[in-house]
Amino acid sequence: MMIKRSIYKIPDGKLVKIELKEKQGKIIRIKITGDFFIYPEEMIYSLEDHLVGCTIERTVLKNKIEKWLHKYQIDCFGITSTGLADAIIMIK
Amino acid sequence: MNARLLTTGFATAYENMAIDEAILIHAQENPQVTLRLYGWNPSAISIGYFQSLKEEVDLAKCKKYQTDYIRRITGGGAVFHDDEVTYSIIAPIDGILIPKNILMSYKKICQGVIEGLKTFGVVSQFIPLNDIISSGKKISGNAQTRKNNVLLQHGTILLKVDVEKMFSLLKVPNEKLKNKIIKDVKQRVIGIQDLLGKKISFEACQKALIYGFQKSLKFNYVKMPLSSSEILLVKKLEEQKYRSDKWNHQR
Repeated sequence: MMIKRSIYKIPDGKLVKIELKEKQGKIIRIKITGDFFIYPEEMIYSLEDHLVGCTIERTVLKNKIEKWLHKYQIDCFGITSTGLADAIIMIK
Repeated sequence: MNARLLTTGFATAYENMAIDEAILIHAQENPQVTLRLYGWNPSAISIGYFQSLKEEVDLAKCKKYQTDYIRRITGGGAVFHDDEVTYSIIAPIDGILIPKNILMSYKKICQGVIEGLKTFGVVSQFIPLNDIISSGKKISGNAQTRKNNVLLQHGTILLKVDVEKMFSLLKVPNEKLKNKIIKDVKQRVIGIQDLLGKKISFEACQKALIYGFQKSLKFNYVKMPLSSSEILLVKKLEEQKYRSDKWNHQR
């Protein structure tokens, strides 16, 4: 399985780099790196796990990320649900 | 309220990051405010918590030029720690002197840097989330983490910037654009010495920052060293965490 990558500068935000494995349009594994801020930091692993199995489609990703942000009351700076979803769909 | 003023001088990246974290851990059990000032020897690159080490840093070049590299516990970007003074503030988030709101707390702490720079006649301003700029160029970068209601914010105040050297050690997404990126960064980043056109020593900048924090974060600063339990924790963190590939290559 090929690892796909993308680099995306979120408008008014930070640079996000995506590395992911996909199968039939769904995420098998994802790594989200970059110079953004997420509080608490360790929750990035929870986010990456949360996105496994998700269809690589803008609205689906955006909603899934938003639900996660809300559920764990995560504070983000330089990264948004829309920005991250856009970064992920760029790998296609 | 008293705050500890801690000057640890120049140390390696591993020791420096271990000291910041040890103070942060210690303060969760023993509430205390610390203002620390320090430098880096040898020069080092630190990357943000969320960054990929191998994608941001040219590890072979770092070895060749004896530059250390380390992952921070704070988010944000890669920093080349060379000619600069670094500060850290570790403080319980009391909602009075240290705001609960993340953005507000960045702003409040960055005000210490701004007041310090003012003593050199350097006018600067806070640009959310984590930069301080002067004459439209970045002069200070800052990053914050929070653990159990204690905050650690550290940041650098550039004395002199060597962008060429910095980019001989950092990787860029597209090698073909490297020269353009270097040119852009030269337009966007500046040190105090470059701004003033004269030498400003590490000591002079450190003194200015202490003054700046005294003025903006109104604690009663008392010079005090690390405690013996903090020193033990520093040694442990340095050896087991910050010198380990497991941590530095984590992402």
